[in-house]
Amino acid sequence: MKKSMILKKVMLVLLVAGFTACTEILEDVEPSTAISFETALSTPAGINGLRTSMYDKVLGNFGYTTQYLIGPGALADETFNRPGSTRFQGLNNAVGTSGTAHLGVFGASFDIIQDANIIINEIPDDVISDELREQYRGEALAIRAYVYHNMARTYGYEPGNTSNGPEANWNLAVMIREDATLDVSDAVELPRNTVAEVYTFIREDLAEAKTLLAGRTDNRYPTEALVDAIRARVELYAGNWSAASTAAQAAITNSGASLVSTEAGVGTMFKGPNSEAIWELDVNPSTEAIAGSNVNSGLAAYTSDQWVAQIPTQLVLDRYDAADYRLSGWFESCLTAQTTGATASTCGSVNSAAAALTKWNGWKGNLVDDVTLVRISEMYLIWAEAAAKAANSPAAGNGPLTTLKTARNAGTTPAAALVSITAFEDEILDERVRELVGEGHRFWDLKRLGRNILDNTGDIKMRADAYRILAPFGTGEQNINSLLVENPGYAVSSN
Amino acid sequence: MFKKLLSMLLYVMVISIGINAQGVIYGTVTDAGTGETIPGATVLIEEINRGIATDADGKYRLTGVPSGDYKVTFSFVGFKSLTLDVQVGSSEVLLNANLEATAIGLDELVVSGYAITPKRELTGSISSVTSKDIQDVSLQNTQSILQGRAAGVTVSATSGNPGAAFKVQIRGNGSINAVSEPLYIVDGVQIDLGNTSGLTSTTPLNAINPNDIESLEVLKDAAAAAIYGSQAASGVVIITTKSGTSGATRVNAKVERGVRSLARNVDYINSDQYVEYMGEASALNFGIDPTEGYTSPFAGDTRTFEAGDYTPFEEDYRSFFLSFFGADPDSDPANPTLTNTDWQDFIFSEGITEKYDLSVSGGNQTTRYYLSGGFEDTEGTAYGSDFVRTNIRTRLDHQINSDLSTGMNISVSRATQFGVCQDGNFINCPPSQAMFEAPMSFPYLADGSYNPNTRFGLSTNPAVVDNEVDRNVVVSQVIGSANFLYKINDWLNAKVTASVDYRNTQDEQYRSAIAAPTQNGFITFANRNLLNTQTNIVVNGVRTFDEVHNVSGLVGAEYKRVYSETQATRGDNISGPFFSVLNSTSTPITAAGSNTEYRVGSYFTNLKYNYDSKYFFSFTGRYDGHSRFGADERWAFFPSVSGAWQVSEESFFDGVDVLDDLKLRVGYGQTGNSAIGNFNSLGLFSIAGTYDGSTAIAPTQLANGALTWEQKNEINVGLDFAMFNNRFRGSVDVYQQQSDNLLFGRPLPTDSGFGSITENIGKIQNEGLELELSSTNYTNRDFNWTSRFNIAFVRNEILELPEGEDIGPSSSFQSLQIGKPIGLIQVPRWAGVNPADGRPMWLDQNGEITYTPETEDQVEYKDGNADAVGGFGNTLSYKGLSLDAFFQFSFGQWAFPSTDYYFTRTPDFLMNLTTEVLDRWQTPGDLTHYPRAIEGGNDYAETDNYRVTVGTQSIYNASYIRLKNVSLSYNLPTSLISNLGIRNVRLYASAINLATWTAWPYYDPEVAFSPFDIYTNVTTASYPTEKQIYGGIDISF
Repeated sequence: MKKSMILKKVMLVLLVAGFTACTEILEDVEPSTAISFETALSTPAGINGLRTSMYDKVLGNFGYTTQYLIGPGALADETFNRPGSTRFQGLNNAVGTSGTAHLGVFGASFDIIQDANIIINEIPDDVISDELREQYRGEALAIRAYVYHNMARTYGYEPGNTSNGPEANWNLAVMIREDATLDVSDAVELPRNTVAEVYTFIREDLAEAKTLLAGRTDNRYPTEALVDAIRARVELYAGNWSAASTAAQAAITNSGASLVSTEAGVGTMFKGPNSEAIWELDVNPSTEAIAGSNVNSGLAAYTSDQWVAQIPTQLVLDRYDAADYRLSGWFESCLTAQTTGATASTCGSVNSAAAALTKWNGWKGNLVDDVTLVRISEMYLIWAEAAAKAANSPAAGNGPLTTLKTARNAGTTPAAALVSITAFEDEILDERVRELVGEGHRFWDLKRLGRNILDNTGDIKMRADAYRILAPFGTGEQNINSLLVENPGYAVSSN
Repeated sequence: MFKKLLSMLLYVMVISIGINAQGVIYGTVTDAGTGETIPGATVLIEEINRGIATDADGKYRLTGVPSGDYKVTFSFVGFKSLTLDVQVGSSEVLLNANLEATAIGLDELVVSGYAITPKRELTGSISSVTSKDIQDVSLQNTQSILQGRAAGVTVSATSGNPGAAFKVQIRGNGSINAVSEPLYIVDGVQIDLGNTSGLTSTTPLNAINPNDIESLEVLKDAAAAAIYGSQAASGVVIITTKSGTSGATRVNAKVERGVRSLARNVDYINSDQYVEYMGEASALNFGIDPTEGYTSPFAGDTRTFEAGDYTPFEEDYRSFFLSFFGADPDSDPANPTLTNTDWQDFIFSEGITEKYDLSVSGGNQTTRYYLSGGFEDTEGTAYGSDFVRTNIRTRLDHQINSDLSTGMNISVSRATQFGVCQDGNFINCPPSQAMFEAPMSFPYLADGSYNPNTRFGLSTNPAVVDNEVDRNVVVSQVIGSANFLYKINDWLNAKVTASVDYRNTQDEQYRSAIAAPTQNGFITFANRNLLNTQTNIVVNGVRTFDEVHNVSGLVGAEYKRVYSETQATRGDNISGPFFSVLNSTSTPITAAGSNTEYRVGSYFTNLKYNYDSKYFFSFTGRYDGHSRFGADERWAFFPSVSGAWQVSEESFFDGVDVLDDLKLRVGYGQTGNSAIGNFNSLGLFSIAGTYDGSTAIAPTQLANGALTWEQKNEINVGLDFAMFNNRFRGSVDVYQQQSDNLLFGRPLPTDSGFGSITENIGKIQNEGLELELSSTNYTNRDFNWTSRFNIAFVRNEILELPEGEDIGPSSSFQSLQIGKPIGLIQVPRWAGVNPADGRPMWLDQNGEITYTPETEDQVEYKDGNADAVGGFGNTLSYKGLSLDAFFQFSFGQWAFPSTDYYFTRTPDFLMNLTTEVLDRWQTPGDLTHYPRAIEGGNDYAETDNYRVTVGTQSIYNASYIRLKNVSLSYNLPTSLISNLGIRNVRLYASAINLATWTAWPYYDPEVAFSPFDIYTNVTTASYPTEKQIYGGIDISF
């Protein structure tokens, strides 16, 4: 009996010990490929990883690489599908199986903004140096502004254009989410903000970013010049001509870059680090693939390599003078441009030269190119357009335009283009195609100027007042967010 | 000389017997009820550790028994053991034994979780399968033993590949997003089923040699399973291996050989029929009127043809095929002809099986042991697929002193699966290749080199996949436990157990430069470890008060930690044909590694009371803490209560002659499902990509402190009965279970940066009825006939979904709709073939004929849940000869054979074509079910593509009855072998999947894509079930 009493006591002790051990033992189980929010934000490596994620998301996203650069031209009149290929056929025809194909990048934009919001709002004071913290904050503000501007132009009209569409004063852009989602209670439904509110928000971000990034010059990351460049774009879209002109000139100056002015230089501009780049995503071809995990979605795969899918239209090629460095530098016969894959003999049905655009041609590796998102030549064009419109005189803008044309051996501005602001705007639009084809501008330029969207033959594809000018959010998004109002003309969720 | 020595030795022995005054006990063991003798009964004298079995006539003779007083125990399955006193002198003593039959089953012991319970005391619902049920069935996988043998347990092969996993579902679908397999417990060790091979279908249960299994118990209802708390919602399967018994050493050796072949071939048309089909399609497309003669429309051809003769079009296609596929390599180059390859024949061939098992067991009063070893080599049918298993098991029980005993049980196994890729529409998997290659295609050119023009080119030529690709999986496992049992007093003991379940899986894949030209050949190697350690302490007590109040119970605590890790590597550019190790690759591509773990801490109790073995009451509770769950919900309590009334023990029952036993059981309980990711409740930043040489860490998951178990509440009412002198026995169970707090992703606004958060919002219900019957139809001294039957009906219904909204309500196969079962099939109704023009027709939502059905035209058709599953069998034995036939069936499941349908019913992809096309519409007025021949795509004007438009014509009944096993065995008469010192010799022949009766037109009506497939209404190309025939000999000494 005595022995059993002792044993019982031992058992009891064992059980109690077991209990305490168990409760503690369940606590410290950690994943091997993930860390907690707290850990991430309390270590320099975690914060650096988060900053890296922001760039990885821009680079890894189709909507900010291939579609961002090729899509706007495909949706308008810059490129067209080679018969036999289907890539961006939906944008070419502006049709799709679930509504009109468009350039909307909703989820991925907010994925980037989420990272930016954490960097902007959540980095504690004492984990990294103040200098680094300010740099990261400046970069995050710049990227947030860049992404917001892209969403604002996709889902809404420009300030001043809000009555361009089927409904008068349709002034909604996208919701402004300025706080990070770190807890499910942060994931609240938000209504769309107005275009004016979003533009104000962007300007505030840019103003702070400009200070924080002063002196930064590594153009693989946001720099002061990029902030100026985004500001120039934003003000151009908003119709604030003198602000746009000033910002564009500041971008050129702060970038430290200058226009390439030799035939050889123009021809090789996209083949290595682009000397005109204000912002260029640097891709490591062995570890990183643009537009997600699959190089098959990369820029080259959509233009001149493998599938030789989107071919420049005759309208593009016809705009160049024969001596223009860009014509010889950026276009090549389909058959020589393409390294592998489908026969490209059908290119000839898109343009008579059977030429492919080779700005993106797998220069850095198999189907991989660095992604040049902003170049100084765009700043010269913004400067030219904005200065002319600010002064209401084509002559006021002809200087920077001539500078660009000269660098490209494209002659001088035709006299007819200088007779009126409208004529000058036409010339600027043509020059933007010549300079920026395949760099993601054409559809937006036509849209912001209230012009009809043309197709590859020059016919009207979408009238300027068509509802299809704006991208839809879709019923799925509406179902999730009860406060979301769909753009006019698109299906409204029954809920 | 040798003979002389031997006789001298014998002489010495005889002398010594004489000196020690040894005697003989002999007699006959009979059935007290019938007077029949009992062959095979055990006769044991414990004092001197001597034992023998009765012969075919029920007689025994124990010689050489030293004089003295002994207790002799007679025992046999189904009879109460009888112990008789005997005094042995120098003479022969006659000792006959009359054994009384037990109410069969009631005194069997059932392993019910942390304790062994007499079946009489069970209050929950448990199905058992014992070694006796399967001794002649050569099954390789433990899970397959349950197929058709345990009511309410639905077992479906996910692949016919030897060593592949089964889908085991106990009482219906209990989850949608956290589908889990049952908890398997082998000799008290909970097996973790995670981190298995990524190369081929396999299961950790392969570690267990079915020959070592003593019994399988399935804890079906919550009352029985609640003792396992948060891991028990999918049911619990307890596997008990054989152990040694005191007495003479028993040696058992078993040798078996067999052959496996494809259970069934699918009928495809040959090359000539293919050409006829295509020629006809081409002619009709061209506009030839099938009712009128015509002149060949081909340039330079002026021949005329009668109606229905499409010769010029066939010639055209024949020459196209010759250019597309190439000519038969055996044909005359001057007069090339199409080949006619039977790809099923090329891909599948017979496989040989060999099995060797040896076990030694025995012991004395203080130590018992069971040692076994087994080797099995089973060749599959597809290419070189092969399963080789070597296993060793040691089980040792030792009584240290009167209070303390210890036990140890270790199983070590190594299984090698030389696999093939098997499930899905993959162009390099043999099961799909058997469908994808047309008969005009062929593997080898005339010079013996690979034909580069097979359907998807050289690298996927089936011959290349056979010869140039190796997928080798090696699984090494240790399952072991050690325990100390301390007897505190007469009614209380405590047991401490430590167990380990360790598994190392090595996945190695080699593809030569021919099979992987882009990489110039590659080798991948993945190493996976899983270490699952458990410790528990259980205090067990039994006490009777006033002779009628029987109280028993246990309390315990348990801790479990499962840690797994994976390293994966890949190298490209294999230097030459000589090596197949990573060192022979020149370009390293992948070096990946990660680890993960979870921990569970638990306290549990089971308290039982019965009054005079008439009224039974049981309470079970388990308090579980799991590292997977949110800090707020980490611990939860899972209780169950149950009771039983042994009606037949009541005095008013005495007059009822027909019924021998009647017991009513009622139970209610809660169990949990913890099958979610290890870190789903944490807010996480995860590794995600790189930029500029830095590794990105991105927010990927929001913290979810409220995340908790899916919970199952179940009520079960059961009735056990025995009638006609226990000749007819059975039990019925009805149950209703509701799985609550089901995990669903609640969508978050996309602009939050997160898509969804997993929350406990959803409910499904399963209701069912299960019946198990067995009977002794006829029995006498020489001849016995017994039958068994079980059937289970189950009905599944979704009760609640997030926000009260159906998920994918118009999805044909994966809709989740409130009030409907999981696996509902929604397709437009088929209206046959238009006799006038051969176009396929469907019905629209108004019941009108349509050629272009829309989503709105879909009707709720069938579902992927079997309504009734079960099995039945008969055993006939005459003296030593025994014949057993076991059938297994499933009714009411319907499914869409996607690969067969999409690829082999029209020539769109120029793959194999099913013989169904021979029934095609050919001339106006034809009444048939297959439309007009088409060349491919959308040949019919304004009509949807017949190939891709799924309608009721595409859904097949997957019901079947299968002769799962038939076996014939013969025990050699004792008289013949006893002189050789052999206890028993059994010869047997057995067949598995010998015949299947089904309307399913393709390989196999067992429809399960993976162990986690909840819809079970779509099949893709899968390694087909195999037919197996074995012969073996089983000798025991």
